[in-house]
Amino acid sequence: MIQFKGLVKKFGDRIVLKGLNLSVQKGEILFILGTSGTGKSVLLKNLMGLMKPDAGQIWIEGEEVSSFSEEQYLPIRRKCGLVFQQPALFDSLTVFENIAFGIRRHTKDSEQEIQKKVTKALGLVHLKNIENKFPSQLSYGMQKRVSLARTIALEPKVLLFDEPTTGLDPVTTSAINQLILELSRNLKTTSIVVSHDMRCALDIADRIIVMDQGSIIEIGTPEELKKSQVSLVKDFLSEVLEKEARQ
Amino acid sequence: MMGVISDAGKVVIFFFRILGVWKRKSISSQLMFEQIWKVTMQSALTTGMAGFFVGAIMTIQFTMQMKDFGALGYLGGLATSTTIREVGPLLIAFMLAGKVGAFTSAELGTMRVTEQIDAIRCLGADPIQELVLPRFIAIVISSFFLLGLGLLLSIFGGILLGEVFSGVSFEEYLRHIPTIVSLPSILTGLFKCFIFAVVLAVICTYRGYTTTGGAKGVGLAVVKTAVGTMVTIVIADWVTSLLADITLRAVLGT
Repeated sequence: MIQFKGLVKKFGDRIVLKGLNLSVQKGEILFILGTSGTGKSVLLKNLMGLMKPDAGQIWIEGEEVSSFSEEQYLPIRRKCGLVFQQPALFDSLTVFENIAFGIRRHTKDSEQEIQKKVTKALGLVHLKNIENKFPSQLSYGMQKRVSLARTIALEPKVLLFDEPTTGLDPVTTSAINQLILELSRNLKTTSIVVSHDMRCALDIADRIIVMDQGSIIEIGTPEELKKSQVSLVKDFLSEVLEKEARQ
Repeated sequence: MMGVISDAGKVVIFFFRILGVWKRKSISSQLMFEQIWKVTMQSALTTGMAGFFVGAIMTIQFTMQMKDFGALGYLGGLATSTTIREVGPLLIAFMLAGKVGAFTSAELGTMRVTEQIDAIRCLGADPIQELVLPRFIAIVISSFFLLGLGLLLSIFGGILLGEVFSGVSFEEYLRHIPTIVSLPSILTGLFKCFIFAVVLAVICTYRGYTTTGGAKGVGLAVVKTAVGTMVTIVIADWVTSLLADITLRAVLGT
């Protein structure tokens, strides 16, 4: 469904993605793990057309999109929804208006239909009766959920999560991870999750890739990864195992 | 030096990008009126106060110069003409740069670093159309309202100080305004006001829109806006004074 072929992205002299090749299958939950600054978020932003690659190709459902203009990218952004690392809600708009924002721009739905979609999206992230609140009146965890609701309200085929649990407490982290699994399975979406959370990846991912310095150093199912001999993967795994041993 | 030239080039490209979006896409009138209201109300009090004191200062300065020549009758006309032609537009531009320019770049910068601008793009909208254009137009339109307000209060300040400091009566102060404040003065003032507002609007939106680097980046964007607008407005003042003079002489034969 999604393919990256020889993707290169540079910032000045620094090469963030070094000819990355990756295929994402329809309906799978793919976790991308790696230390900070290895190009995980850059990969998602390239996929969404928020950044342009310096070389290589990005294929989405049989279309090569890397050279698309902003206008050409509109239908791609309808297909792919990105949940940002920060909630990125519009401060001056209510929760309802935040969620309706994308629906209004991408569809010609009536106000009644928009109302229904907003309520449904909020329901999917287990929130209700907050439509008239402003983002500043919500906790950080709730803002993250509203951000998720805003993305799924457009019913995308691909859900992209950029470190969805960063800055959250363990309970909310677990709830968000559960939501990712629920949404991916219930809405039958393809999900790509950029994360540092190996425990969560082992629990819900179909496949995990581990990146280091702009390249993929390991790829496989959770079971395959547990047997990996790559030192960074071992480090990630040992951290999880240590935490579990302490508990 | 190369950095300044490169920055100036990027601002010019951004300006044409704004104009391109304005030409191709519609703009929500509600968004625009909201911004005009916000910008005008944000700066009305300070601009009014500054206008009042500029009128007062002009009156004192001209009194000191003119009383020896027995020409105090022209006080109102000269003070008002100077304010309309030069001090008014410059004052409004500096006031707007300090209040609205800094606010706009901080607001857009915060939206950039908190990924709200990227979110707008992901949700199928154009951030230039949704965020930049309404603010750009609002700053330009509001500057004319604020110029009017500043001028009115500067005349009021001038009248008051004329009475108290110079011994010029209310009627005498106003009598020569229509004869000295000529059409070229008014046109020059309006032209300068427009140019300064465009300069301010494009610099503050550009700085905010291209902010990088978190809270520190937002702070830096605000500082660059303040410095950039002040310097560019002063340079623009010199250029517009020259251009306005040449154009008006050619067109009106004055």
